[in-house]
Amino acid sequence: MARSIKKGSVVVAVGTKKGGFLFHSLDRRKWSVEGPFNAGGAVYHMTLDPRDGRTVYAAAPMGSEPWGPAVYRGRAGEAPKATKTAPKFKEGSDLSVSRVWHIEPGPSDAPETIYAGVEPAALFRSDDRGDTWHDVESLNYHPTRKDWQPGNGGLCLHSVLVDPKNPRHLMIGISAVGAFETRDGGRSWTTENRGVRAGFMPNQYPEWGQCVHKLAWDASGDGAIFQQNHCGTYHRGPDGGAWTEVTKGLPSEFGFPIAAHPEQKHTAFVTPLIGAENRVFPKGQMAVWKTTSSGKAWRSHTKGLPGPRAYLGVLREGMAVDAADPLGVYVGTNTGQLFASRDEGESWKMISDFLPPILSVSAGEAR
Amino acid sequence: MRIPPALRSYTDGQDEVVLEASNVAAMLHALDANFPGIRDRVVDEAGRRRPYVNVFVNEELIGASLPEAKLNPGDVVHILPSVAGG
Repeated sequence: MARSIKKGSVVVAVGTKKGGFLFHSLDRRKWSVEGPFNAGGAVYHMTLDPRDGRTVYAAAPMGSEPWGPAVYRGRAGEAPKATKTAPKFKEGSDLSVSRVWHIEPGPSDAPETIYAGVEPAALFRSDDRGDTWHDVESLNYHPTRKDWQPGNGGLCLHSVLVDPKNPRHLMIGISAVGAFETRDGGRSWTTENRGVRAGFMPNQYPEWGQCVHKLAWDASGDGAIFQQNHCGTYHRGPDGGAWTEVTKGLPSEFGFPIAAHPEQKHTAFVTPLIGAENRVFPKGQMAVWKTTSSGKAWRSHTKGLPGPRAYLGVLREGMAVDAADPLGVYVGTNTGQLFASRDEGESWKMISDFLPPILSVSAGEAR
Repeated sequence: MRIPPALRSYTDGQDEVVLEASNVAAMLHALDANFPGIRDRVVDEAGRRRPYVNVFVNEELIGASLPEAKLNPGDVVHILPSVAGG
């Protein structure tokens, strides 16, 4: 990749089934693209580190061949390289990391710290930008682990939220297992699934076993969180406790990503699909739904999005927001289109077509 | 040991490395001591060969566990991905 990304550009990192791409633009009207990186191989997640605005991390296998999972690191605009080691369990473990699903930059006061969520579900922390990794044993060998069961997407830890105001406060999400939270820097974890429905279980409100699809901080800054689940959309208030289901007003309880406005409280975006049995947009119309009231009310936005007769979907990591004003929102589809909104989700424009199926989208500003 | 193209980023581009070891598992440890991280590409945390990674000694595919795959002076160990597709 060329060194062509200018400071101040919005960078949209797109992971696909056949490589990773960096879209970048100074005005969010005219976009340039770098890549593909890891051409021919999947890139499950790729993100620009917001702490320096320069470093790109990616989760991908080594090439397209069966050499195991890797984490890549590089300067935005250059091809990232595999870090010295990938997350792995202790030697001799029965567990083996098969895939890195998500890379999450750590707190601002620890610029070398990053987290990795992997399959089978586990959290790893690196304090040297991905060269060595620590197995977060308090979570990875949680007493409930023996009963964790994979969902359709595998037993993956896909969401890692690091509290920007309190680096000892994290919440993670595991498909078909649920949400866990620590407030003591990872020494102990509690299940945090009260009020979340598991419609596929005999007991629909178990302590854990819910199929969380994605988590996002509410910009309130007080610890409130949004959740898109297999069985509904939820919001949890700042003091923890039970989640409130906020599915009412949406066309479906099923969707994958959820992205929250980084500045505007109570504001989030979702992309509901018909359901688990048919993971495409209802009525053949792609739509992004927005709430500005923590989910009390939702509004559909379709201007510039395909339909009717658009039979496509969006995967778990397929939506992101930038930090510009007005907010940019980005959605990548499993049919290879990348859509962008530069007016907080009100209207949309396709900025790329004929990409490989899009697995992840993230956005940030180059510095 | 012959190094496949995908792993030559670990060996500074070398396609062949000469090592002393009595079996394939020990050879992988010796390789990793020279080129840290490369062993993890061939075996998982339990020391099991990764699925779709094949190890040959000379022209013989190693089906047994890697510690049981004994080596003699002059043997050539190949690490190759299985053919993809069908």
